Amino acid sequence: MSGLESYINHTVSIITADGRNFIGTLKGFDQTINIIIDECHERVFSTSSGIEQIVLGLHIIRGDNIAVIGLIDESIDSRLDLANIRGEPLGPVVH
Amino acid sequence: MLPLSLLKTAQSHPMLVELKNGETYNGHLVSCDSWMNINLRDVICTSKDGDRFWRMPECYIRGSTIKYLRIPDEVIDMVKEDAQAKSRNRTELNKNRVANSAQNQRAARSGNRNNFGNRSGQLSGGPGNNTQRVGVSGQGNRLLAQNNKNRK
Repeated sequence: MSGLESYINHTVSIITADGRNFIGTLKGFDQTINIIIDECHERVFSTSSGIEQIVLGLHIIRGDNIAVIGLIDESIDSRLDLANIRGEPLGPVVH
Repeated sequence: MLPLSLLKTAQSHPMLVELKNGETYNGHLVSCDSWMNINLRDVICTSKDGDRFWRMPECYIRGSTIKYLRIPDEVIDMVKEDAQAKSRNRTELNKNRVANSAQNQRAARSGNRNNFGNRSGQLSGGPGNNTQRVGVSGQGNRLLAQNNKNRK
């Protein structure tokens, strides 16, 4: 069984090949790691202001474009003060 | 739930497709296949920097060029009904399959004996053995047909 099975219906963080960070509920995946993310948000990092969170909704992300899928601890995540976290945005994957 | 079943359920719904090159396509999904190739209607294409737009009546997008698809929220609830109905069918199918495979194993066992007979017949080049062979494969086909019927 794929390790992703245990992430189903949990909050995950996806880092894509173009360096973006999506947070949402994993609803499904297939053998090529195409995934369904419900209630998807994008977190945009910047060094000049806090993390901007953009609500996106239901997404299918193609497996080709996925670099990392991480399980989010919701209790820790909800305590984050996004407005006061600064960080450099990730760059795209270098092939 | 599989991403491609969600996509199939999203047929006729509006969606946004971002390609790997950064272009986005807004339109209504007409059809899709198992490679994620898609047909859109009433499309607005936006350039990577978002400052140029093209309107087109329809377009076809190769699945491998897609980065992600944004789909209306309500579509996920529509899949659930489909998926549940399908998984119900599947459990019934599996019951039939188990019954059939037991039947097939019995058929295969008795069929093997005949096949040995055929093989030796073939080596000696006897044309008469063919009739027996047809009989055996005919039986196999019947079982297959029956199997297929249950699968539908």
